Amino acid sequence: MTDFSRRQILGAAATTALIGAAGFPFPVLAQQGRSSVTLAIGRDIQGLLTPANRVGAIEGNIMRAVCQGLIRFKPGSFEWELSAAKKLDQVNDTTIEFELNPGLQFHGGFGEMTADDVKFSFEQFGQVGADGKPAGYAKDWATLDHVEVTGKYTGKILLKSPAPQLWLVVLPDNSGLIISRKAFEAGCYRSDAQPIKLIGTGAYTLAEWVPNQRVVLKTNPEWKGAKPTFPEIVLQPVRDPKTAELALRANELQFTPVEPADAAEIQKEKDTQLLRQDSINYVWIGLNVEKPPFDNPKVRQALKLAIDVEQVVAGAYNGTVKPAYALMAPGLLGYWADAPKPKPDPAAAKKLLAEAGHPNGFKCTLTLMNKPTYQAIGQIVQALLGEIGVQVDLQVLDAGAYYAIGKGDTGKNLDMALQRFGGKADPAFQTQWFVASQIGTWNWQRWNDPAFDEASAKAASTNDKAERNRLYIEAQKRMEASGAFIWLTHEANIFAFRPWLKPAVLPNGDDMLYDRFTTA
Amino acid sequence: MVLSPKLRYVGSRLVTTMLVLVSATILLFSLTLFIPGNPAEVLLGPRATPEAVQAYSHIMGLDRPMLERLAIFLGNVLTGDLGRDVISGRPVLDLVLEVFPYTLTLTLASIGLAIVLGVPLGCYAATHPGSVLDQIGAVTSVAFIAMPNFVVAVFLVLIFSVWLHWLPVLGVGRDGGWGDAVLRLVLPAVSLALSWIGYIARLLRASLLEVLGEAHIRTARAYGVPERRIVYRNALKLAAIPTVAILGLGVGRLLGGAIFAEIVFARPGLGTLVYDAIAVRNYPVVQAAVLVVVAVFTVTNLLTDLTYLWLDPRLGRRLGEAR
Repeated sequence: MTDFSRRQILGAAATTALIGAAGFPFPVLAQQGRSSVTLAIGRDIQGLLTPANRVGAIEGNIMRAVCQGLIRFKPGSFEWELSAAKKLDQVNDTTIEFELNPGLQFHGGFGEMTADDVKFSFEQFGQVGADGKPAGYAKDWATLDHVEVTGKYTGKILLKSPAPQLWLVVLPDNSGLIISRKAFEAGCYRSDAQPIKLIGTGAYTLAEWVPNQRVVLKTNPEWKGAKPTFPEIVLQPVRDPKTAELALRANELQFTPVEPADAAEIQKEKDTQLLRQDSINYVWIGLNVEKPPFDNPKVRQALKLAIDVEQVVAGAYNGTVKPAYALMAPGLLGYWADAPKPKPDPAAAKKLLAEAGHPNGFKCTLTLMNKPTYQAIGQIVQALLGEIGVQVDLQVLDAGAYYAIGKGDTGKNLDMALQRFGGKADPAFQTQWFVASQIGTWNWQRWNDPAFDEASAKAASTNDKAERNRLYIEAQKRMEASGAFIWLTHEANIFAFRPWLKPAVLPNGDDMLYDRFTTA
Repeated sequence: MVLSPKLRYVGSRLVTTMLVLVSATILLFSLTLFIPGNPAEVLLGPRATPEAVQAYSHIMGLDRPMLERLAIFLGNVLTGDLGRDVISGRPVLDLVLEVFPYTLTLTLASIGLAIVLGVPLGCYAATHPGSVLDQIGAVTSVAFIAMPNFVVAVFLVLIFSVWLHWLPVLGVGRDGGWGDAVLRLVLPAVSLALSWIGYIARLLRASLLEVLGEAHIRTARAYGVPERRIVYRNALKLAAIPTVAILGLGVGRLLGGAIFAEIVFARPGLGTLVYDAIAVRNYPVVQAAVLVVVAVFTVTNLLTDLTYLWLDPRLGRRLGEAR
């Protein structure tokens, strides 16, 4: 066997040290040029890439960069502007007329966008697939009767009933994106065929999807609008937020959402900037009004008095978000500015419990998802309710098990659930989950209030803005009176990125406008 | 025809392996029975109409008797049909085969690293018991074993990626060729391997010390056989048996452990596939991925058992005597 001399060992060590000092000349160290930007996404894309059957916001954001709608959101707001449409007018309560800009070419040689493509795209939401599966987002266009094509570029969207929410949650959003009939019939947009082809007229093309590795968007050569800043956008699935944060610090990512609780720490990093937006999502604790002892309104009111929302939010979110007192976030139509802000009062809560026949409290379960913030909320609530004698067991579940637990008959066994729903710009989107028909689906409180249902339905079918505002506040008053909802926060969206980057994010924090990402 | 004891041993191990695989398949099938509610409802989502649920239940064969469904499932698995991804509609086998090489590479790299570093450490410690290096090795080995992998991973990323900028954090590389792919394998493989290095070193030290004290080793020494030859040619082969047994189990544990490495380092693989599938209750994907892990685990254990015959010829003789 070869023996190494001391000189040889010292020489090897010195060489290693020199290579280290020189900065290890591996290709990964090369800073990415500004021609490409790498952004984190929380998971890989899945499923069909059609607006009607998209899985969630991640697919929606990619579609939004590749396809155009008649109108689109402006960055950072829920105001819209014309996109594929030259004109878009609501001519009466149930008719919207549109005229397309001529010359919008679908990439891949699928020709010019016409009114027939608009008809095909919107009416697809009412179709049932060959496998008997209805469109995933059928509800978005539930009020659509049909689209009438009146010319090559013109047509009418005819509705069964007035639908004001179309202007904020459908037309400028992913359900309003226009795909090519010709491309669809040629087998594009299908995820069971590789490589997947997403065809659109937008600023980018889906150039590459390597499952579980990356999605690459490249500028659309046929695009005639303002040129996007980055010729290439790489979307990197990173499931662990801590990894995303470290990868940002290592400059492998240039943009990532961060947990609110980590924001203060990340802020200390040099060459890292934070964007903070108050969100319109909503986090709350829902009480199952069908199950004893929560079927007793006094018990529900007692719990509301015992839970100090400000304390919960400050502790779990590290002081980065504001507490919420009603369903609608500030700035939305129907925001209830005068919603009661109850002062925590454990003594009054105990008294109510005694009146309800539980002078020594009771045992119950709080079901929540296995995210650190939610677990922190659970622990604080556990401590607060412990003060009035209510012993709370935390049932922490992964996403799959969590989302199944409130469904169907299994939902009857829930006591309390910590829930979080994403918001959209129109209040109709927010209220739809709490009507009686959603019991066993998303209404995990199993709360049935015909007055709420009526107010929501009326508000969703009138174009009178003032009346809608009044009706939505009325609906929230019904929720408040029920005691079944303990609102916690509307959250805040916090993103970390390189200082030279200017991201374009919509106020709900889930929706991105990749084609509007630019340099600061 | 009379089979040799060795062949009978191999045969019995093969039968056991098949039984384990069939039992695991049945267990995985029964997973669908424990899903709350109708699996078709779960797959179709909350907006599905009752008619759609009924139609989909028929397509999925949920209206058939359970034993018939089990027979169909087993038949499909035997023919390599692991079903379709309920979201993308792609054959599940394609999805699994796409990512499996990444998980296998990571697992083999980790176990390889553990062997390459753990075996010399263990040998050195056994041949120099009580030396300073042996004592340092003991402390570091225990530290490696005790440290959770994810903590190691975060520290490695902090040191080598964030501070030194030597090694990349994410993924398996893009158009960077083999060099880039290997660089991206370093941190996940090291973070998985560290505890195994310590484990192998300690285990090998203990068994080598025991073998070195046996009579035939003393005889070899008395005949003047060089110490290096005794250790590496005679003793190590015998002392390696417990280590090989642990490594056999280790491959299975590393396949499972790869989930954490794939999540932390954003690598494709069976772990991330299962993680994503569980989140959206995509059970055919979960079943297929777990089945592949079980198959690799049982086959590795079979190979481990067979390796004993090669490592210790006395085992073959004992099998013959037992007969």
